[in-house]
Amino acid sequence: MPGGIIFEFPDQYLFPSGLWLTVQLSVVSLLGSLVVGTVIALFRVAPLAPFRWVGTAYVEFFRNTPLLVQLFFLFFGAPLIGIRFSTDPFEFNFRAALLGLALYHAAYVAEVIRGGLLGVDHGQIEAARSLGLSYTQMLRYIQLPQSFRSVIPPLGNIFTALVKNTSLATTIGVAELLNAGEVVESRTFRAIEAYGAVALLYLALVLPLAAGVNWLERKLQVAR
Amino acid sequence: MRPDTWHLFVDPDILKFFAGGLGQTLLISAAAIVISCVLGLALALARMSRAALLRWPATFVVEVIRALPVYLLIVYFGIKGSSLGQPFFGPEFDVSRFWGGVIGLSLYTSAVLAEIIRAGILSLPRGQTEAARALGLNYPRMMRWIILPQALRLMVPAMMSQLTTIIKDTSLVGQIGVFELYRSARIIYTQNFNPIEALLFVAVIYFVICFVLSQLSRRLELGNQTARRVREAVLRDQVA
Repeated sequence: MPGGIIFEFPDQYLFPSGLWLTVQLSVVSLLGSLVVGTVIALFRVAPLAPFRWVGTAYVEFFRNTPLLVQLFFLFFGAPLIGIRFSTDPFEFNFRAALLGLALYHAAYVAEVIRGGLLGVDHGQIEAARSLGLSYTQMLRYIQLPQSFRSVIPPLGNIFTALVKNTSLATTIGVAELLNAGEVVESRTFRAIEAYGAVALLYLALVLPLAAGVNWLERKLQVAR
Repeated sequence: MRPDTWHLFVDPDILKFFAGGLGQTLLISAAAIVISCVLGLALALARMSRAALLRWPATFVVEVIRALPVYLLIVYFGIKGSSLGQPFFGPEFDVSRFWGGVIGLSLYTSAVLAEIIRAGILSLPRGQTEAARALGLNYPRMMRWIILPQALRLMVPAMMSQLTTIIKDTSLVGQIGVFELYRSARIIYTQNFNPIEALLFVAVIYFVICFVLSQLSRRLELGNQTARRVREAVLRDQVA
């Protein structure tokens, strides 16, 4: 039976635990990248030019260098400058991967949110300011809520890509889904089945997500 | 941090070593682009074909490959490429890590390029096809002289920004043991224990190449709504 290899290691639960770690990595680093990305987006639209420069530098640097290089940079570099994510090696790898994924995807999130913020009608901002709202109040009550709708589908696209990119965490020793495949393959030499199982599980995660994003995109377009 | 190793990055011999890595990175990218342009065009045309026997398999292949991590494909074909071909080409069949990695990267890229090409062709007004057919052009001629030249112009910005994704993804081919830019940094820092300096050094090189390409792509796209829509068709695939 194709995919049967998934259940052949009941004592280790390699594939199920790998899948679970992939889901954890995806969800937590998505949340992290939403927070960092929103802050960077606010930098990008700030009225003060130095803030905008910082935001632009962040986005361009993280988007134009390979995620793999960033992950290894954190993994090897952070302890050398005195940052220890954890004393437990497994926890260390996991947290380094989380941080790396969050920082990388934050650059893409920032661009999407910036687009949403700039898409809000300028009259709204002027009206809010002339009503006496401060800049932060205007952001909080007027500009951010109105941009919410237009950023949901592209954020879904980033999340889809993020789930796929978690596979790079195996390079710094996180026992996620692709790692489970590599371990099973090295034990059984059944490469087609082991990697086939990994592929099936990734498809089970990514295809419904992508379909959901497509559906949302169409729905929000019609409603507009 | 090892400030005492900074002299490495001005040493001409070491710089030559990094230049060799950069050359390999560009070679892998170029090979992947050539293969995936051919394969991507074939997949795009098959997916838009009127024959269901072509359309369904092509749609299936493109959607499945786009949903897989590119690193999975690179690991799989890079490491298992030889044993995959042996049932068909005999036990002597051998694929190097280099070509295995290129095949993995090209498969993924051709699925994305197929989407770019399809979006480019679909964004042309229907009248173009109808007029070409009414003039009596057959399908290959219509594609060659009417549709593709126009669609190509709309695809250029999307393809340029896919190029930056390819160059970043070549680092994954390095991860399976092929010498390229990221690998050259890895070799330097495992010998000198200076990962911060070595990785920053190659990160800057990646940055310069990809930044220039992405700025160029943005410049070409400026004010062209259709080109922007073509790129948006593959937005999710370019977060890599």
